[in-house]
Amino acid sequence: MKMKRYLSLLLAGTLALALTACGGSAKTDPGTSNQPSTSDENWAPKENVTMIVSYKAGSGTDNTARVLAAYAEKYIGKPVIIENLEGGSGSIGWTALSQAAPDGYTLGFINLPNFNATISEGLATYTVDSFAPICNHVTETSVVLVKADSQFNTLEDLVKFAKDNPGKLKASTNGNRASNHIGAQVLATSAGFEYTDIPYGGTADQLLALRQGEVDFSVAKVADFASFTSEVKVLAVYNQERLEGYPDVPTMGELGYYDQWLGSSRCIVAPAGTPENVIKFYEDAFQKLMEDADYLKAAEAAGMETDYKNSADTAALIKQQQDFTESLADVWGD
Amino acid sequence: MLETLALMGHGFVNAMSLSNLLFMAGGTAIGIIIGCLPGLSAAMGVALLLPMTFTMAPETGLIVLGAIYCGAIFGGSISAILIHTPGTPASAATAIEGYQLTLQGKAGKALAVACFSSFCGGLLSCISLYFFAPLLAQLAMKFGSPEYFWLSIFGLTIIAGVASKSLLKGLISGALGLLLSTIGMDPMEGAQRFMFGQASLYEGINTTCALIGLFSMSQVLILAEKKIKQRAKAAKFSDKITLSGKEIKRITPTILRSWVIGNLIGILPGAGASIACFLGYNTSRQFSHHKEEFGKGSIEGVAGSEAANNAVTGGSLIPMLTLGIPGESVTAVLMGGLIIQGLQPGPELFTRYAPMTYTFFAGFVLVQFFMLGIGLLGCRGFAQISRLSDAILIPSVAVLCVVGSFAIHKNFFDVVIMMIFGVLGYLVRKFDLNPAAIVLALILGPIGENGLRRSLRLSGGSPAILFSTPLCWVLIALCVFGVCSPIFMNRMEKKAVEDAGGDIPNETGDDPVRTSD
Repeated sequence: MKMKRYLSLLLAGTLALALTACGGSAKTDPGTSNQPSTSDENWAPKENVTMIVSYKAGSGTDNTARVLAAYAEKYIGKPVIIENLEGGSGSIGWTALSQAAPDGYTLGFINLPNFNATISEGLATYTVDSFAPICNHVTETSVVLVKADSQFNTLEDLVKFAKDNPGKLKASTNGNRASNHIGAQVLATSAGFEYTDIPYGGTADQLLALRQGEVDFSVAKVADFASFTSEVKVLAVYNQERLEGYPDVPTMGELGYYDQWLGSSRCIVAPAGTPENVIKFYEDAFQKLMEDADYLKAAEAAGMETDYKNSADTAALIKQQQDFTESLADVWGD
Repeated sequence: MLETLALMGHGFVNAMSLSNLLFMAGGTAIGIIIGCLPGLSAAMGVALLLPMTFTMAPETGLIVLGAIYCGAIFGGSISAILIHTPGTPASAATAIEGYQLTLQGKAGKALAVACFSSFCGGLLSCISLYFFAPLLAQLAMKFGSPEYFWLSIFGLTIIAGVASKSLLKGLISGALGLLLSTIGMDPMEGAQRFMFGQASLYEGINTTCALIGLFSMSQVLILAEKKIKQRAKAAKFSDKITLSGKEIKRITPTILRSWVIGNLIGILPGAGASIACFLGYNTSRQFSHHKEEFGKGSIEGVAGSEAANNAVTGGSLIPMLTLGIPGESVTAVLMGGLIIQGLQPGPELFTRYAPMTYTFFAGFVLVQFFMLGIGLLGCRGFAQISRLSDAILIPSVAVLCVVGSFAIHKNFFDVVIMMIFGVLGYLVRKFDLNPAAIVLALILGPIGENGLRRSLRLSGGSPAILFSTPLCWVLIALCVFGVCSPIFMNRMEKKAVEDAGGDIPNETGDDPVRTSD
């Protein structure tokens, strides 16, 4: 009798599981029915626009997205709602975005090169072609950091020490093959030295380890250490030109190492198949929005580097970062 | 110092916004209701209502959860006093004297004592929260990878303490939790472990889903398999719910003793309010000038138990907020709430997020006043709720479980995870394993794995790094203490229960989650 009860309970549980499994995760926007016509030159949204952020509320991407959304209605005509769909290193949100109806009511942010990494690491069901680029929003440039009282005052000091003591130099990273690990690896490959990378799972812990002196150097983005600039020294920047905020810090290229830009970009995209006129509408609207004085004031207060790029340039950047991520196979040696 | 005082002051100003006050009142009332419903523990209540705080500001969300926590611990005493059934295990000792008072027609008096003592215990526990939490947080700044490894080992030794009934079964539960914690991306090499192609598992099992499943959904299954029975009618009582100055004077020393006991037990990970209430009760008897009243309805006995279990609340937040080590299941759920708001436990809570943290602390203080007010005024109403039928309770909790786990990421996969953990929790409890130990291991597993593997990579493979700093040795000593403490704790609790007469009413008999109270 008791056994029977157990069994029926188990059965009920399994049934419930089966039911939930059927639910699937495809996410569609309520406003799918009004497909925009491609001929309409003056298309504009008639209801609220959802923008998917693939990281949790309060994350870096979420903060910048919300600053943008706060001033968006003036140029888009309807309120912009931020929806956080985090998990799977961003791939959960990007999967939902790639499957959303291409009607101009669901847009989202993709974070380069993390986005590209989910594709090359096989986490994704989407490709670069699953999205229609609209524009670039924010760009952050990587730099090489050491602790303020470090024995290294220039990047040459650091490289020389690393070459004299192969493998002794330790770098904290924000995760295995995450953005800042890529940065450290690119430096080591182009300068020709060996080092030990220690993954810390997140930028905050990565930089805490640097400040505690557990490691010798780190690669991070400028905004990451804004709250404790006095505790670190910036040795070099990953850019073709010196950064405005750090005019005395040389670029990697000047020193004879990796001479391309490296960092992270947050681009605004729509699902592939979104009509050309809709993309054009948002491209123009976001350009005006990113030149709005009130927005720029709020962006500066939030420490964001607004960097508008048009649809074509953004497409090129996504493609370039995808090629870059795929080419890292050589850097990683696998 | 001045800066800290200013932060404390600002905390109170922020906490006293109208919306915060309303949320405090609501949270406390809901907590009391959950507490006085036998079968629903504080941890379950906090886990169930956690998703509703996602859209709130972080400080408001935390205040609501804190209010539910405190309310539930007090609420358990209402059913303990009126129907001889502790609403949560934390009030088991309250039932002994409280019900005797009810039989004598002094239920109002007993409720007033319970409410006043809970208020004092909770309020006093905030003192240690204000003083020790920032100190411990500063120490945490010095923690490197080897220290975090030892910290997690220390946390894991707690499992032994949590296990109570059988050390072996506690360890089995812990091992199960550790195994589950390996699911997801390998933190060092990036390999995918046990993901079966599910991108949703990339960041590991969501602790909050696991908690809702293990604590709440499994309780639904347990309640559902029993025949639904009418609960005893709550005793009618006519005496006023008040205390005279003389009575307050009489129970004051008891409350102070119970505060110290409860607070220490709270700070010590692994020992929860259910142990504190017995120790508080016992101590009150030992020092009482009216020993003859004990067993026949002593207000000091009620005060001793209730002040002690509420004094646990503030203390138990300290290791969770500063080190990210929850000592028991309620704080594990609270930590989930913190992380979902984008806040990591640790030193940053007292530097970068200090305004938020001090607002939460201030809210925690104010909640105690709400508990006093709502408790005294609403006792009669809550007494009726305590006999709510399981026929209503079971489906409501089940719905909340599903809605709650979906709300976290708006991802259906999380509901599946919650269901799996619900069934797992049911089986685990049938086999007398401990769900709280599974959750602790699930949280501590990654901390320990990261700490160990990072240390070894830093040292080039030499384990000597694990013994390289004085802090490491302090933590190792704590680990040894942690391993030995259950023996000590068991003896202490056994003695306390025996001294209390050994007659502990426990309605369900399945002792929901021992430490969750």
